[in-house]
Parts: sequence; C-alpha cells; structure tokens
Amino acid sequence: MIERVRLALLAVLLVVPLTTPALAQKPVKIGVLTPLSPPGDAAAGQFIARGAKMGAEEVNARGGVLGGRKIELVVEDDSGTPEKGAAGFRKLATQDQAVAVVGQFHSSVMTAVQALAEQFKVPVFSTQASARQITEQHLNYTFRTHVIDPDRCQMWTRWVKERGFKRAALITENTDYGVGLVDETKKAFASLYPGAELKTIIFDRAVVDLTPQLLEIKNWKPDVLLNGGIGTPMYLIVKQAFDVGLHPAVPMLISYDAPTRPEYWKNLGEKGTWASFIVYYHPTMKLTTRGEAFRKKYMAEFKEDPIYGALNGYSQVVLLADALNAAKSDKTDDLLKALLAGKFEGWNGTISFTRGEGPYWQQWTPPMLVTQYTKPEMAFAEVKIVYPAELKTGDWMAAPKR
Amino acid sequence: MDPFLLSQYVLSGVVIGVIYSLMALGITFIYSIMKMINWGMGEFYMIGSYVQYALIVNLVGPGRWYLALPLAMGAVFVLGLVVQRFLLRPMFVGGVERRDEYATIMTIALMVFFRNLAIVLGGPNQYAPPDYAKPVTLGTLPISGNRFVALIATLVLLGLFYLVIKKTWVGRALRGAAQNRVGIQTAGIDVLRLDMLAFGVGVALAAAAGALLAPDFLVYPENGAISTFKGFEIIVIGGLGSILGSVVGGVLLGVIEALGSVFVSSAYKDLYGFLLLIALLVFRPTGLFGERERSV
Repeated sequence: MIERVRLALLAVLLVVPLTTPALAQKPVKIGVLTPLSPPGDAAAGQFIARGAKMGAEEVNARGGVLGGRKIELVVEDDSGTPEKGAAGFRKLATQDQAVAVVGQFHSSVMTAVQALAEQFKVPVFSTQASARQITEQHLNYTFRTHVIDPDRCQMWTRWVKERGFKRAALITENTDYGVGLVDETKKAFASLYPGAELKTIIFDRAVVDLTPQLLEIKNWKPDVLLNGGIGTPMYLIVKQAFDVGLHPAVPMLISYDAPTRPEYWKNLGEKGTWASFIVYYHPTMKLTTRGEAFRKKYMAEFKEDPIYGALNGYSQVVLLADALNAAKSDKTDDLLKALLAGKFEGWNGTISFTRGEGPYWQQWTPPMLVTQYTKPEMAFAEVKIVYPAELKTGDWMAAPKR
Repeated sequence: MDPFLLSQYVLSGVVIGVIYSLMALGITFIYSIMKMINWGMGEFYMIGSYVQYALIVNLVGPGRWYLALPLAMGAVFVLGLVVQRFLLRPMFVGGVERRDEYATIMTIALMVFFRNLAIVLGGPNQYAPPDYAKPVTLGTLPISGNRFVALIATLVLLGLFYLVIKKTWVGRALRGAAQNRVGIQTAGIDVLRLDMLAFGVGVALAAAAGALLAPDFLVYPENGAISTFKGFEIIVIGGLGSILGSVVGGVLLGVIEALGSVFVSSAYKDLYGFLLLIALLVFRPTGLFGERERSV
C-alpha cells in the first residue's frame, strides 16, 4: 500500500511540471543593489527600490518576459559603502544569478562594483551615481541613466554666472562624488567663468560638527554656497550654515534632489527655506506614456508625487525587460547586445546607450533643473523652475534680511 | 591671522569640547569602576537621541526639551541597569578568566545589536526634534540655540555629577571602588551593585549628550559613532579613569581642533586631535590626569 502511494506521488511530481509549463519556468532575476541603511543615503535607496518593484510588478502584470517568465527582484543593501556593495554584487551575480543589477546611488560604491560587473559579465546600472569616471572608463557592462558630474558642475557654474555671483564656496565630502565635484567645478569655473573666485572645502563624511569649516567660509564672504553633501551631511550643512549666520543671507545651492523628499522639512524646518537645489524631475514635466502611467500609479499608491530615484529605478527595470525580450535570451552577453542596439522608452524620453567620447559612454542623461523653496513647508509640486532660462517657470528670489 | 576668526574658532572648540566631555565622562566613569571599556557607548548616545525625539514629538511637545531630557536619561539609565545586570554582571561574579575581555566583546555585540535595532524600529532615515532655542551669539561666535542649551545643560550635569561623587556616601563608595575593588569589598560594600549603578549613570551621561545634540547633529542609527570616537580621544588625552581629565581633555581637544582649523585647514579638523593624542601617548602615556591603581 505504502509503495503504491509513493508511486502515485512520484507520478504527480513528474506530471505536474509537464502539464503546467508556465509554473515551471524559473523567473528572471534582476538585482537591486542600493543604500538601504546608513552611512549610505538610505532614503534614496528606499525610493529607488520602490520604483524598481513597481517596474517588476508592471512587467509581470503584462505577462513577464521571454514568453511568460516573471521578473524577480533581489534587493541588496550596499549601505553606501564600497565593501558592502562589492559583497552584495558578488552575491547577486553568483548566488542569485541576476541577469543585471540596478539601483546604484553612491559613486564610491558604483566605482567598486564596476570591476566585478566586468568580471562576472553582468550589466550594472547607475541609477543616481554621477561621478565622471564611472562611464569614462569605457567598461562594457556599465550603464548609466543619470546625469554626470561634469554636466552638473557646468550647469551650476552657469547658474552662478547668470546670477552674477563673483565668489562661490563649495563645501563637500571626501567621497568620489565630493572630490569629483571639486575637480569638475574648478574646471568649469576656469572655462566658463574665469573672472569668478572659487573656494573649496572637503570634509570627512563621518564628521558631524561643520562649524569651523562654515565659519571659515563665512569669513571668506562668499556670494553663494554650493552644498555638496549627500544624505546626512547635506542636512548638517544646511542646519549649521543657518546657525552660524551664513545661510540664507548667503544663497545656497544643494547639489542634488534630496530636498524633494518628504523628510526634508521634518529635518530642517524653516532652516530649509530659500535653499535652491538641482532636480532631474519636476511635476510639471511632460512624461512619456510609460512615465505618465507610472506617475499616476505611484500617486494613487503613495499619495505623493514620485521622486526621481523611483522614476529612474522603475525605468531601468522596464528597460531591462524590454531588452530581455529583444535579446530573446537571459544570457548576459545577449542582453548586453540588446541594450546597445535598442531604443527603450524611459520615464522622460527614449533611452539608448551609445558609446560616445569621454564619460558619454553607454550613458543617457535626464534633464537638470534648478528649483528653489521660497517658503517653509513648501510642497515640491509648488516649487518654480528658476534655471535654465528655456524651462523657467518662475524667478529665483534672494532671502529677505534676517 | 584674523583675531576675530581665531576667537570664533576657539570658542567653537571649547563649546563642542565641553559637550563631548559628557560622553568621555560616561566612558571613563564606567572604566573607573568596572575596569572595562564600553564600546557600545555611542549606541546609548543614539538611544538617548531617539528617546528624546520620540518624547518631544509624541509626548511632551516641542519647546519642552527640558522635560524630555531627564526622561530620556532615566530611560537609558534603566536600560543600562538591565544590560549590566543580565549581560555583564555574570562575568563579574566568581572567578571568570579574562572577564574584562568578555565584557568588552559583549559591549561590541551590543553596539551592533542596538544599531540594527534602530534601523528596524525607526528606519534608516534621519530625524530632528524641533530646535530647543533660537540661535544666539556667544561672545564673537554665532551658534545655534541648541548648542548653547547643550553647553549650559552639560555644565549643570557635570556640576551635579561632581557634587554626587564628592559629597555623598554613594559617591565616596564609587570613588573607593575606582581606587581598589578588593579593598572596598573588605569594607562591606557590594561592589556588584556599584557596578550596576556606575554603568547606568555612565550610559545615562551618553544619552544626555545624544539628547542635547539631537537637533544639531540629527537622530539616525549611526549618530553615536563620532561622539564615541571623540569620547575615546578625550579620555586618552585626559587620562583613563580621571573625571577631571575628561573635562580638560574635552576642552583641549576642541581648542586644538579649532587652532588647527585656523592655522592649517578646517578640512583636516579631526586630524589635529589625533596628533595631540599620539604626542601624549609618546610623552605621557597615562594622559594628562591619569592615575595608577592603588593596591593594598
């Protein structure tokens, strides 16, 4: 009797996979390697992971890839540190067999995992890591759908020039991003605004008391302060610059889009008012059909406008799904060819990866805009675009004297 | 050198040095009594900042930081008692070999545990309680009202600590334990109970620093790291086990960092304290006020 039951069970185990092929197909895994804990910018990582998950859900809802295989995301926390990033990438590439890895935010981590991407032949995507050298190395498996620092620094130099500021101080952290900002801003000032003076200070990312550095800057009497902190240091600069009487008397430009996040006002209160900041997405932008659908779904689910990191994380996953279908294979070499040959609908335009000169290698760049908060607790949807001139929706305003 | 800027830097260094000395005092106090280093001190600082934030936002309301502060210290004091009683005390009972090393490893494990617990409970994001006071000018130095409040509160706490240690029976017992653990037991004092008290008070001092600096340095899972770092620098400069050394070391560290920032560059601010520390270890290994253990 027992023997008969065993045989019946064996038969069931053998027959069920044959009769339900869709269930038998293993999913295609995409890695999301992003900062989800300090010292990384964990809030950024959360938004990127959120967008990537929504991308995977969308692809799976329309039938998956490669004839019915589901996309399975494997999320790993890199903590914004190269060593954890490298360990996470190894796991994704070897243990999880991910066909590609998205979600990179910190340039230092991206720089560390690029070499592994080449070694394991797994494409890695920078979602918000912007250091020049990332794409300048011309590595086969490195892709980026985010701005690069030379463009960022040229843009803020033009903004400084347009505003007529003659003395600019840049305070930033000792990371690949921060050091890159200093180098690129020096180059940009030399070429675009030779008459202006630039003072740069690099501080250790772990430091929490920036009073001496900010007093030194205040004593130098700058016309504008460029805030190159990422995550906690960005907030510390704003808070402490306010406390020593530097900001908002001296206008501040924050180097990335962290002020668009809900915690900005919670952390800074009125000290965050009058800050200008660079963004890559604005609620008034016209998006692609795909981008608009994502925005609607995101707003319905989270009751707030999407953050750029979420848009970019989403785009990278759906782009990879398109590339897998175009490749008709989950082999990474085939995927690589499809990525290089194809044109993909992103959130804001058609994405393609050409192999251009310098850092413009397998690189797609979103728009960059300067916006400004002009009142406390101002919603991001209300902010005006103050630069560049062709996209302006309002004028930049100096803070009233305290 | 601009004397105005110099005075600003020195004042800024003194202010932050005094506040950091609270952390150093906690470390050195625990060491004095238990003869072990608490590597998880920064996490008690972190917990203090979280409790302060939670109390201000959910219970006492903005502007009542002075009510939240003793509550935050009290909560961490109780946590310290529990940690000492159940996780550290077993190593101090009986003849456990290498108990100090085991206890030290336990505090490292606690550091990892509390940091991850903070991520699980509060998420990885930063928080900031509302400002305790409006920005003020201290002499030539414009500083945040929070830091001014922290300075005053630190001085009050240091004064209270001094009074308790010097003028009360418990303080005398603690001083006795610091000088000779065996000797004080012969006088009939329960040294294990003193250990528990010392650990609770030490971590409560760290929590006070965390609570006071929360609006300026933010609340997040790793915010205690730099304060621990500074605390250890200070106790090596001032002398391990010396209460006076904690305060003098704190001020000295703050001033050295400030002077280095003026005369070299503010970019290397944290390097100058280490140069002082190395020099002291070479020429005066016991620190400025370090004492030898007395024996009977």
